[in-house]
Amino acid sequence: MRTRQRTRFSRNAFLLLASFLMVAPFLWALSTSFKLPGDVFAYPPRFLPDPFTLNSYIKVTTDIPFPRYLLNSVIVTTSIVLLNVVFATAAAYAFAKLRFPGRDAIFFALLLTLMVPPQVNLIPVYKIMVELHKAIPALGADTYFGLIAPSAISVFGIFLMRGFLRSIPDEILESARMDGASEWRILRSIVFPLALPGMATLAIFTFLGAWNDFLWPLIVTSSDDMRTLPVGLALLARRNASDWGTTMAGTIITAAPLIIVFLLMQRRFIEGLTAGAVKDGA
Amino acid sequence: MIQGRGAARPATALPTTFRRRFKGASAGYLLTAPAIVVSVVFLLIPMVVSAYWSLTHYNGIQAPEFVGLQNYQEVLSNPRFQRSFQNTVFFVVMGMSIGPLLGLGSALLLNTRLRLRSFYRTAFFLPTMTSLVVVATIWKFMYADNGIINSVAGLFGLPGHDWLNDPTTALPAVVVSAIWQGFGFETVVFLAALQAVPREHYEAATVDGAGRWATFRWITLPALRPTIVFVYVIGIIGSFQTFDQVFVMTNGGPISATRTVVFDLVDRFNKLDIGGASAVAYILLIVLAFVSYLQLRLGERGD
Repeated sequence: MRTRQRTRFSRNAFLLLASFLMVAPFLWALSTSFKLPGDVFAYPPRFLPDPFTLNSYIKVTTDIPFPRYLLNSVIVTTSIVLLNVVFATAAAYAFAKLRFPGRDAIFFALLLTLMVPPQVNLIPVYKIMVELHKAIPALGADTYFGLIAPSAISVFGIFLMRGFLRSIPDEILESARMDGASEWRILRSIVFPLALPGMATLAIFTFLGAWNDFLWPLIVTSSDDMRTLPVGLALLARRNASDWGTTMAGTIITAAPLIIVFLLMQRRFIEGLTAGAVKDGA
Repeated sequence: MIQGRGAARPATALPTTFRRRFKGASAGYLLTAPAIVVSVVFLLIPMVVSAYWSLTHYNGIQAPEFVGLQNYQEVLSNPRFQRSFQNTVFFVVMGMSIGPLLGLGSALLLNTRLRLRSFYRTAFFLPTMTSLVVVATIWKFMYADNGIINSVAGLFGLPGHDWLNDPTTALPAVVVSAIWQGFGFETVVFLAALQAVPREHYEAATVDGAGRWATFRWITLPALRPTIVFVYVIGIIGSFQTFDQVFVMTNGGPISATRTVVFDLVDRFNKLDIGGASAVAYILLIVLAFVSYLQLRLGERGD
């Protein structure tokens, strides 16, 4: 009995220490973002900022356009999530439940593109965007369109949603057709409502991917006004080596929205992210 | 779905069947059209173009000039690319020999009755959610000469070290931050897989008098096999594409010590060596295709 208590104690002690190591760097960044520049490297290190100052946040929102980066990230991420949820679900419905010549061949061809690392397409897509920008200045490189369009529909999303939609019984769809419902009507009033849990999972995946995406936004944007948060932060971290308080304020602004969404919906997050993995395994 | 394809249908039903089939088909094409267009424009055509560029001298301005496999020869014999490839393999091997084990160990610890389990799970998962750039920025700050890691070491009387500016420690330092960020994902995936193992299997093992190790070896491990394959494949493919952390923390330096394959690709792109960059991309594609092929083989053997 006593050894069992002891193992439970040591297990908890170990897990608490490990959790501390996982969370502490974020808290350290948070604390640093409220410190005066002279206190950042105080020795021995001080965990609480004293005095407490918002200078770094003022600097990062006035000298550096972090509010603009945030706005860009919100616009780009929201658009990518909405486009993916609607279009991937629609396409997945067609691949799962409709019959049309070439269906399986097209689906297979799409799946093959999942094998291709995104870096292969990077430069040609950039070239497309540059040419498009020359033809139509509102589109192409260094525009919202350029940031959004290549991620508008992910093949992975279609694959994921197809898995969900296959479990909808054909009889429901068949009886709706018997009643004279159009495919559009079926999609809107039967498929979308039944697919909601799957769409939530897809939305989470897409949200994470789009919010954290780095290489494409780095390459396709050239003006500071079009940077997203990760790109703005990376460029700040590279050039601003001495002013860590400001850099940490930028880090917090970049990380906070995602962490808040995660903490609010963590069950959904973890279930959604592991469902794919475990289903894949079983 | 569409019934009565046989010849024995009454003639009057034909138009309806035909119309239905046509309607279904047009809906099918209509609904998949956006996905197909986006995939053709942003995946398929670029893939082919990239393959062509990899066989040309091309600087993005003048017309590409066909040179056969010259770029591949240049890339493969280029010391900076070789260094980048070695670094990437080091990244993959070191990351994959520590990360999944940490993840499995944590999952086994968490797969017991614990009051704070969901707190632990959240804590472990937090870095995984966050962007690579955020984590790289925080670690760059912690690794700084007078940063928190050296300060804490100093409190224990250990000497400080300029981790990211020393060619021998820079790459391991970046890998450590990547493991720190990544193993929470493995923890959560393994935990979900552990919870899916039927309890009866463990009960049967207990009845048979199996010890802890035997239970793990003969019940848990076989049940986890597909998850282990999944974790390694995702992990290997992901770390082969490492770029963000290196871009933020070290910019490939000091003296190429942290250059990775994708870093080399982007560097060539910035220097307008588009032919070379495309060749690097296709070399990466071939390596990753080989990894996926191994996964298929391993997966087959399990079934």
